[in-house]
Amino acid sequence: MNHRIFVANRGEIAVRIIEACDRLGYDTVLGVSKADKDTLAAKRANRVVTIGGPRPADSYLNMNAVIQAALSTGCTAVHPGYGFLSERPAFAELCAANGLTFIGPSPEALRALGDKLTARQLAESVDVPVSAGGTAQTAEEVRQLAERIGYPTLIKAAHGGGGRGMKLVESTAELAEAWQLASSEAEASFGDGTVFLERFVQDAKHVEVQILGDRHGHRVHLGERECSVQYRYQKVVEEAPCTALPGPTRALLYQSALRIAEALDYVGLGTVEFLYDVQRDSLAFLEVNPRVQVEHPVTEAITGVDLVREQLLAALGEPLSFTQAEVTLTGNAIECRITAQDPENDLQPSPGTVTRWRPSAAGGLRLDTHIYEGYRFPPFYDALMAKQVAWAPDRAAAIERMEQALAAFEIEGVTTSLPLLRRILAHPVFRDNTVTTHWLNELMMEKVNS
Amino acid sequence: MDIDLEELAAVIEQLDKTEFTDFLYEKGELRLHVRRGGHIPDGAIQSPASAVAAAAPPVAGEPAPDAVAPKPPAPAPVVVNSPAPNSHSPALRPDALPAGHMLVTAPMLGTYYGAPKPGEPAFVQVGDAVTADAVLCIVEVMKLMNSVTAGAAGEVAAVFVKDGELVEFEQPLFAIRATS
Repeated sequence: MNHRIFVANRGEIAVRIIEACDRLGYDTVLGVSKADKDTLAAKRANRVVTIGGPRPADSYLNMNAVIQAALSTGCTAVHPGYGFLSERPAFAELCAANGLTFIGPSPEALRALGDKLTARQLAESVDVPVSAGGTAQTAEEVRQLAERIGYPTLIKAAHGGGGRGMKLVESTAELAEAWQLASSEAEASFGDGTVFLERFVQDAKHVEVQILGDRHGHRVHLGERECSVQYRYQKVVEEAPCTALPGPTRALLYQSALRIAEALDYVGLGTVEFLYDVQRDSLAFLEVNPRVQVEHPVTEAITGVDLVREQLLAALGEPLSFTQAEVTLTGNAIECRITAQDPENDLQPSPGTVTRWRPSAAGGLRLDTHIYEGYRFPPFYDALMAKQVAWAPDRAAAIERMEQALAAFEIEGVTTSLPLLRRILAHPVFRDNTVTTHWLNELMMEKVNS
Repeated sequence: MDIDLEELAAVIEQLDKTEFTDFLYEKGELRLHVRRGGHIPDGAIQSPASAVAAAAPPVAGEPAPDAVAPKPPAPAPVVVNSPAPNSHSPALRPDALPAGHMLVTAPMLGTYYGAPKPGEPAFVQVGDAVTADAVLCIVEVMKLMNSVTAGAAGEVAAVFVKDGELVEFEQPLFAIRATS
């Protein structure tokens, strides 16, 4: 059957999906907003339809317009990319109701994973380590729970995401009020006031496992990534593998990710995220991202697997083309997110026209981007311009390659995060890989205070 | 099944607050058809199924000519009887309109229908005089019908799309020559 895939996304991930479809011989139709008619993806897709105005709510988040556009152009499947509609159970259901294959897991899996408390309970039920925590009803029960967990403790919204809806509580005195407040905020922001408590891990690394499943009960993992370099919960630099993990902990990490995949009968690409407490050598489950991840290229670099191709084939019903034993991890890969943000000004967005765009063409590099010279970077969306990836046989060599790539990269017309990325790569804490998730926040603060 | 006058009045009152050109409600033997502007042709009430069958709406994709309880028919391609069909105007191009003309563009992506129902005359033809609030066409998105109005008084100078076509957001649909 000749498939025609509707690409319901933008930016570099739309280009990535179109490339994967091209190589599979699938037709592509790209739905764009009015502001995105001149993107690289729009130049590459077989057909482009304008689905709505620039604001995401009018275009990329407009489920009816996306489905209508996919049906009217004869598409057989919809690839939602990441963000936008990719994690919405209602959208996956709407696709199914209209005979379109949703390139992602089942609506049930999306629903189970969209609720962090449910996901946490699922992890616990299959013996995956979670940090101490839980939820309770009465103020007294909440107090007892917090005592058991120990302070400081984190209140999280079950339906929150990206750091929103979190509250750090230092003592019993603050607890009751913070609990009330978090619940009201969660109700207002996410339409569900369910909150829960979790031990606050002071100093941890963010590690995540790439999983892939098909519709025939096969599931594999493709190793882990480390994404500890974050600013306000936004990942900035990612790498694979995580060199700080001892062997037995890594084995537990993979086993845990696969148990969760199994419990969900997981289909397609997913990422199981954990915090790794280096001092205690302990893992704690965080959440599952049921979609392709921004940082998937570092995994592709060390496994040689085209993840988006496998994701498409798995969703369309093909069995996995390889087994776990055939997955081998070679060398180290690093990804830097180049964004249109000003590091001198608290990473404020800085859209504009890209007047010069000259990436390095050296060996061992990959650039995922939708930018070209003369492109007008719109102010309506994510600030991501490109993902520079470097691979080398070991981590030190990968860092060196990345430094050379960043040094050679010429961008003019918009202010970018390149100076910050260069600074991170050169920093001794990054070089000896003792970075934890709040390291970059502190580095940015230093800059402000000095 | 019965509906009392009070209920009927309540329904119509609710409808009055919304924008629609054609409303059909069916439950059991009850059929309520409310429409703005013009009369409801008998045929449309008696046999909506044949109208659906005449031009299958692309979304439903399930024309059922002899279905006992037909679904509320989606507006579908009009059967043109007129010798001057509602068609592309070779004289006008949307990107090069002469002075005094304005474009009416699609407010959203969807399927374009020039008539309120299949088999009925189009809302407007080239040459028709229209008021600012005159309905020119319907854009259907996932079975929701959105009427598009002229926006300014004038004369319909061109129709740029065909019935049943996918129209994109802000795609030119009509040219209106302003009457001053």
